[in-house]
Amino acid sequence: MAGVKLTDIRKKFGAVEVIRGVDIEIREGEFCVFVGPSGCGKSTLLRMIAGLEDITAGSVEIGGHRVNDIDPSERGTAMVFQTYALYPHMTVSQNMGFGLRMNGVPKAEIAKRVAEAARILQIEPLLDRKPRQLSGGQRQRVAIGRAIVRDPQVFLFDEPLSNLDAELRVATRLEIAKLHGQLQGSTMIYVTHDQVEAMTLADRIVVLRDGRVEQMGEPMELYERPANLFVAGFIGSPKMNFIKLRAASNGGQPAAELPDGSRLTLSGAEADSVATLGVRADGLKHVDRDGVFTGEVTVVEQLGDAVFVYVRTSWDQEIVARFEPGAKVRVGERISFALGGRTHFFDADGRGLTGVTPGNTISEARLSA
Amino acid sequence: MADVALSRSSAITSRQSFLNPRRRRLITSVVLAAICILWVYPLVWMVSASFKSNSEIFAGGGLIPENPTFENFVRAWHEANIGAYFFNTLFVTVGSVLITTISAALMGYALGRRPFPGRAALFGLMLFTLFIPQGYTIIPVFELLSNLGLGQSLWGLMLATCGHSIVIFTLLFAGYFSQMPKELEEASRMDGVGPVKTFWYVMLPLSKPIIVTVVVMQTLQAWNDFLLPLVITLANPALRTLSVGIYSFRGEHFIDWGGMTAGSTITIVPVIILFLFLQRYFIDGLAGAVKG
Repeated sequence: MAGVKLTDIRKKFGAVEVIRGVDIEIREGEFCVFVGPSGCGKSTLLRMIAGLEDITAGSVEIGGHRVNDIDPSERGTAMVFQTYALYPHMTVSQNMGFGLRMNGVPKAEIAKRVAEAARILQIEPLLDRKPRQLSGGQRQRVAIGRAIVRDPQVFLFDEPLSNLDAELRVATRLEIAKLHGQLQGSTMIYVTHDQVEAMTLADRIVVLRDGRVEQMGEPMELYERPANLFVAGFIGSPKMNFIKLRAASNGGQPAAELPDGSRLTLSGAEADSVATLGVRADGLKHVDRDGVFTGEVTVVEQLGDAVFVYVRTSWDQEIVARFEPGAKVRVGERISFALGGRTHFFDADGRGLTGVTPGNTISEARLSA
Repeated sequence: MADVALSRSSAITSRQSFLNPRRRRLITSVVLAAICILWVYPLVWMVSASFKSNSEIFAGGGLIPENPTFENFVRAWHEANIGAYFFNTLFVTVGSVLITTISAALMGYALGRRPFPGRAALFGLMLFTLFIPQGYTIIPVFELLSNLGLGQSLWGLMLATCGHSIVIFTLLFAGYFSQMPKELEEASRMDGVGPVKTFWYVMLPLSKPIIVTVVVMQTLQAWNDFLLPLVITLANPALRTLSVGIYSFRGEHFIDWGGMTAGSTITIVPVIILFLFLQRYFIDGLAGAVKG
């Protein structure tokens, strides 16, 4: 097994640069997820590791060896495609053994490896079927099996669950997580646009945007300490609420003014450069008075284990807050919120500020009094 | 308002009752059967005439011969050399089908899947050749074969026969290959399989419907071709193919209708057998090519 190291990777399609200097080090045996919106370059990056795309500049190392100019089949990687890419005219076992057969591996060895992969994936009864006789989930397992028989150092998954329906996606996600446990020590790189997949599967997540790494870290690290506005908005569901702030001072103490004119005192070294307040749905606490802001309830979503309440503020922004199940909230009601959990502050460039904590809120009414 | 709605709905029901699906199927069948009879009758007459003597053919009897005879077949096979012509045709057909199918598949694969400079221009040029009538090319083709020293051989005829529809076949393959997902090739590349093996083991088996279409169409074309073999075999009757051989039943003063119909019957039997075996694939292939 081996780690993967990308150093200042760049990729140009004609004049367009789609990967703009990416440095990532993936440790041996790690499950690393590349996540980002469509067009961020995550699939291109994966295909460059696989060897299906040329590398314009930079170097890719697998297991300590530079593989830039090595053929895809000799890099020790195996890829699982979004569309499965099974050969339609071959049976499941032929599909899985095709690469080995073409490379002159003895028949007995092929049969042994195919049987072992089929056992791991529980597809033994399907070995004689053709891909068209399989369901989407089964096809995806065969595609994974085809990767397993090659006994690769690094598994590459390119949005493997995107073609499955919602229920099957959750089930297969679990299977992949189990597989990583079973295939002890195998490095896996997984590309997805779905942050839930990223959060649930990854040892480490790489958030990409416009061909650059926005942040890299463990799932909870990204969730709790996003490096910038983009990561804060991308990771977590529902999306983090962002409230624009204006710098102000309150009797010498740094403070920020909300769009409705109320002020929030701040403390911390970087409190002066605060421009945006970020707070997740569970960071807002319903209070009867002296809240940070007040708004009118527009939508109430009952999820069973939680209630998400969408509130329109006085400055016409929609904000979402999480309530405990059974909370009695009605559409049209006016409610106040205080900051009751983790808060995030960002400067004018969207960079996350550390060490800034909110203090008291002074409502506009009290200010004018 | 209600009346209008009522009368409209009754009009619909009466139209429905007249042209219900069963009746529509019946009418379609009758029309198709009539067309079929028109189409098939000359063939049936030809087969029937091949079992009659020359005098009986013109006696105006029915389709079933009164004194069935194999004499026409024997005469055609031995005296008129139809036997030899049969094997000439078989040689030219099988050879040209092999060459055409393999080269059209290879060219179609390159044109359909590999981006290279000038591809669009090449496509355009190939399409353009479709508009050149055979009459224009037959003399240059003959000259070319003569210069290659193949002007008087079945090999030359075979090569020239390949050229008839190879452009259409190449475009058929190119269209089909261009629609195959690129992940198939990428998966095979990741598996360490080279481009030639990928073509042979992955892409070619998947293009079976097109292969069958090409085989059937080229077989028909080579088997039935007349003008090209006529020109090439003009000076060498031993190289004649069936269609040219049958034409030779037409003498200056006398036409041997019995021999000609027997020769024609011998000619169409392999074609019919081929079509019966391959018609399902053939229709699939054409439907696939049109559907895209």
